[in-house]
Amino acid sequence: MIALIGLVLGVVAGLVIEPTVPADLQPYLPIAVVAALDALFGGLRAYLDGIFDERVFLTSFLSNVVVAALVVFLGDQLGVGSQMTTAVIVVLGIRIFSNAASIRRHLFKA
Amino acid sequence: MNRRHAQGSTRAADASMTLINEVYRTPVDPAYAEAAARQAAGRAPRRTLRGSVALLVLAVALGAFATTAAVALRRPAPAALQARTLLENEIRDRTAAADELRRTNAELSAEIARLQQSAASTDDPELFAQLQRDAVAAGVVPVTGPGVRVVLTDGAPAADAAPDDASALVLDLDLQVLVNGLWAAGAEAVAVNGERITTTTAIRSAGAAVLVDSTALSSPYTVEAVGDAVAMQTALARTSAGQHLASLSQYGITVKMSSQRSLELPGRGQLTLRSARVADGAVDGSGDGSAAGDGSDAPASSSDVAGSGRHDGEGAR
Repeated sequence: MIALIGLVLGVVAGLVIEPTVPADLQPYLPIAVVAALDALFGGLRAYLDGIFDERVFLTSFLSNVVVAALVVFLGDQLGVGSQMTTAVIVVLGIRIFSNAASIRRHLFKA
Repeated sequence: MNRRHAQGSTRAADASMTLINEVYRTPVDPAYAEAAARQAAGRAPRRTLRGSVALLVLAVALGAFATTAAVALRRPAPAALQARTLLENEIRDRTAAADELRRTNAELSAEIARLQQSAASTDDPELFAQLQRDAVAAGVVPVTGPGVRVVLTDGAPAADAAPDDASALVLDLDLQVLVNGLWAAGAEAVAVNGERITTTTAIRSAGAAVLVDSTALSSPYTVEAVGDAVAMQTALARTSAGQHLASLSQYGITVKMSSQRSLELPGRGQLTLRSARVADGAVDGSGDGSAAGDGSDAPASSSDVAGSGRHDGEGAR
């Protein structure tokens, strides 16, 4: 519950304050957003599975975002930034898809 | 052999795809299951106030971050915006500078005309009259007189037209044909949107804009020609230019022609010819001979060259 309230508060704060993202971080935003989506779907599935845990949710959220951005950052430094982005997107995309499918099975029993 | 065989059979058939299997079969963080197991076993760590606060802070931060990221991604890239603003400013600055230069140019040519007048009218009235005629023909000085005004207006694009469909727009070709037709119909001076057409004027298109010399014009295009209004209209209607104008209406372009009792056409300012020189023996001896030989009287010779260029140019236009 705390996590949910906090997230909603954060979303509202983000919408109201509209902070600007430093230009250096801009390239990692898309990947961070995809990682956040993955964490959200994972959390939702865990909730439907009845094993949701706020601490796990938030830490997986944080680590997802940080690791995804870090991997792409490293890729950029090594000159394989776009390939790294593709790799991260593929992995997270597959996870999002299979989580979404599982959520669908939970909700519609089909 | 047997052993190896047995060993091989224990391998999963899709052993080479463990990575994909891993990703696909365990999409949920295993930590959820572990946490649930701990909870069930009663080994879950007790929730403290500090832990809850940390959780809340982390949640707020993550929510704010995700929202900020999403909002920032929906915005156009600041770099592109910056470049655009920079270019816009540059265009504005340069246009202002060009306007300023054009104004200075007009002032200076007015002064030249005045000085020529004061010098020539006293010394040599005949040369002065010649100079005046040439200046009018070359489009250097402003002229006024009766004439016709033709206004071409872009049509509204058709509803099903592609966004880059330019068929309803007035093209450089239309203006070229019209200006040619007006010259052929006996116009003595022509201007498009206040840009005097001279011997060196080019009408061309750059993207969607029509350029007369280097000035970008936009619809409506007002073409003014000084001359015998009635005769010009009749002559224009007879030429292929008249047919071309008539055919424009089928593209939705409005063509309005009216005779004007008094038109004022601006001058182009002094022409600077960098390469053209008066050919030897091309100038008759009626007072211009000294001018051609004397570099200090360049305006007389240059307008003379320009004047003859106009007749050459007429055929080419």
